[in-house]
Amino acid sequence: MLQFHYQQGSAGKLALFPHILELSAKKNSSIQLHSFPEEVAEGLCIYFIHNGKFEWKLNGQHYYLFPDDTIIVLPGDKLGNDKGILELGSIFWIRIKVQCLKNGELVLGKWSSLSDTECAAVGKLLHLNNTPVLSRLTETGRILSGIFHEIHHLELGYVTRVNQLIDELLIMITRQLTRQSNPSRDFSKMFMKMEDALRKDLSHQWTVEEMAAIAGMGTTLFTERVKSFTGFTPINYLINIRVSEAIKWLKRKDVSITDIALDTGFYSSQHFSTTFKKLTGYTPGEFRKNNTYTD
Amino acid sequence: MKCIITIELGTNAVRIFAFDLNGVVIGSMKGYYPTFHTQTDYSEQDPEQIFITMLYVLKNLLNEKIHVKKYKVASICFSSAMHSMLTVDKNGVPLGNAFTWADNRAKKEAQEMKESTLADTMYNSTGTPLHPMSPLLKIAWLRKNDPAKFKQAGKFLSIKSYVIHQLTGEYLIDYSLACATGMLNIHTINWEPEALNYAGISQEQLPRLVPVFAGAGTLKKAYQNSFGLSDETKILVGSSDGCMATLGAGIWNSDKATITVEDSGAVRMVGNKMLHDEKKRVFNYLITENCFVSGGPSNSGGGVFEWFAKQFGDFTGAYDIESCMSTLLEESTKVATGSEGLLFLPYLLGERAPIWNPDARGMYFGININHEKQHFIRATIEGILYGIYSIGKMLTEHRNIKGLSVNGSFATNPFCSQMIADMFNEPVYITNNANSVSVGAFLLAATEMGIFKSLDEAAAQVQVAKTYTPMENHHTTYMKYFDIFESLSYKLSDEFTRIADLQ
Repeated sequence: MLQFHYQQGSAGKLALFPHILELSAKKNSSIQLHSFPEEVAEGLCIYFIHNGKFEWKLNGQHYYLFPDDTIIVLPGDKLGNDKGILELGSIFWIRIKVQCLKNGELVLGKWSSLSDTECAAVGKLLHLNNTPVLSRLTETGRILSGIFHEIHHLELGYVTRVNQLIDELLIMITRQLTRQSNPSRDFSKMFMKMEDALRKDLSHQWTVEEMAAIAGMGTTLFTERVKSFTGFTPINYLINIRVSEAIKWLKRKDVSITDIALDTGFYSSQHFSTTFKKLTGYTPGEFRKNNTYTD
Repeated sequence: MKCIITIELGTNAVRIFAFDLNGVVIGSMKGYYPTFHTQTDYSEQDPEQIFITMLYVLKNLLNEKIHVKKYKVASICFSSAMHSMLTVDKNGVPLGNAFTWADNRAKKEAQEMKESTLADTMYNSTGTPLHPMSPLLKIAWLRKNDPAKFKQAGKFLSIKSYVIHQLTGEYLIDYSLACATGMLNIHTINWEPEALNYAGISQEQLPRLVPVFAGAGTLKKAYQNSFGLSDETKILVGSSDGCMATLGAGIWNSDKATITVEDSGAVRMVGNKMLHDEKKRVFNYLITENCFVSGGPSNSGGGVFEWFAKQFGDFTGAYDIESCMSTLLEESTKVATGSEGLLFLPYLLGERAPIWNPDARGMYFGININHEKQHFIRATIEGILYGIYSIGKMLTEHRNIKGLSVNGSFATNPFCSQMIADMFNEPVYITNNANSVSVGAFLLAATEMGIFKSLDEAAAQVQVAKTYTPMENHHTTYMKYFDIFESLSYKLSDEFTRIADLQ
């Protein structure tokens, strides 16, 4: 395996790629103390195990890593080895600068050609992810060496190709992530999981793409399956949840209707009012008047 | 043209049907709502989401199928899953989610009650087995484990009572659904004072008791406008899903029984008196005066087979559990009756009737070196249906069964229907509308309108689409295995408890 190590600011090779903080391939043939202590990650890091067997600790949890495993480390995650050493073997990694929103979601930069919705979905899913290790994913290794070759050879169009490859890597990983966490047999279980994600973040403007991705499916198949399972389109099902939650808040006097609207994911109190009236026959204000009582 | 709408508030979904007055389906729609299992033994549903889902589906059905064809809705008749318990405050605002029939948190209360001297009196007066599903025990649980909520409680409702209250402002429960609370005295048709005393509540905290034909008040103006209905549309309180499935199967005051097997299952009969089971295994739900639906429920139905399919089925086409299950069924037909000596106890979820043992667990018994995958498939199906047969056998201790009306997606699979006929050695009839709960609710509403003179006459309208004739030789074989099945189910009682304790 060819070894390389590009770092932002030092090699010059990354000058046109300010979003790539680091790109490396390392063959570790001797064990050294303090070579891999637990540290808080800066940027989004993707590691690929090429050779060897590793025992790493990510956010306090131990992971045994084998060849062809991909490890996803989010900004702020703590990664390292218990004893501080890097074990024998070879690994690839890339570290990408991403913007980290307050709610933990990731935003890529202008370099990415992912659309806004796609980018939001990738960010959302990486953030929701609780299985940071993807096993048997040789694709990661292939894409990472592809990025290295482009940067090394500087052939025509290499800037575009590098950015495309990073996009490809993120898409591939996100897809794999959703597939791996949804063993495909149990639609109802998968649906419950997706439902739970919606409820946990009801104020988020969920798109069908994001919902489908949590389920590890394309939107066409997903919409079809949700329709036959629930009787509703994914978006209408989401409206059911929003209105049901809103009703509970309306029955308590202490929250304003605008706050309820935004907390339950409506664009505005106007949007909330129209949807609510269409469904229940009452405006939220009328509903509240009929249902709240002073004690 | 008039039509009747039926609303079934089922275990996982609301199913709404529209029938013309001849009983022909004009349209139907469903809407799913989730069940939350936040802890072992907890099973909850959000009353607001159930209500909103019901509104949404009803509105779509009215707009797309009823108003466009200028139908006039004569009545809307409700049915619902049994044993749900929702606590509301004195203003009718829900205090958290409803506990569903599958909620087992009152396990300890049920066990204590069973062992107490109250057990006999309670069964004699309410006619229902003592089980954690019963709202009587759920309320007792709440009093002990959540005293703050108990103290705040204005009323204890069923999901159906809550939904009806939202629509009309009335707190009502029909006799049949009230039976499923474990608190109705089926002889006096009033709340049983000893039950209320045990639960620690007053009868003012329960909805008002009304017959199944009772009107549930007038739709609130806003809903009339929103639905495009007038105050002439009658809202009928209706009954429970189990009772309606029995009526819809055409089983009424006869020596036939009905078998329903969906995810779970039940065997039921209708008669003019309570089946008084000394071992307290049989439920008795009062429908109208001197008319009881009696029988036993099972936890082990199509859900158990689905479990098998998920573990051992072939999933080349992603997500398609249905086609996977039908492939398995096909494979199992290659094996002879009795699965060549392989026997399965289907108690993956514990069992209700007839063994009433929440600790019961599943088992494959008699495995030998020649058994292959298809033997396991067939044994699984046979085991589920032996469980159903054991409920039927329990009922025959009280009354003869001559002929079976079978419904539910699992039981109406031709292979399963034939197996039921063979096990019972009785003919099996399949009716021409698979959704017997809705048909039952339609027949109830039509009787209320005077289209039929009585429920007996209404039930007689139900037509048989298909008949399965029992095969004597298969019956003989099945009975040899059933004998072992039955003795294992009781003999392993100790071991069931010990293994359940470890799980």
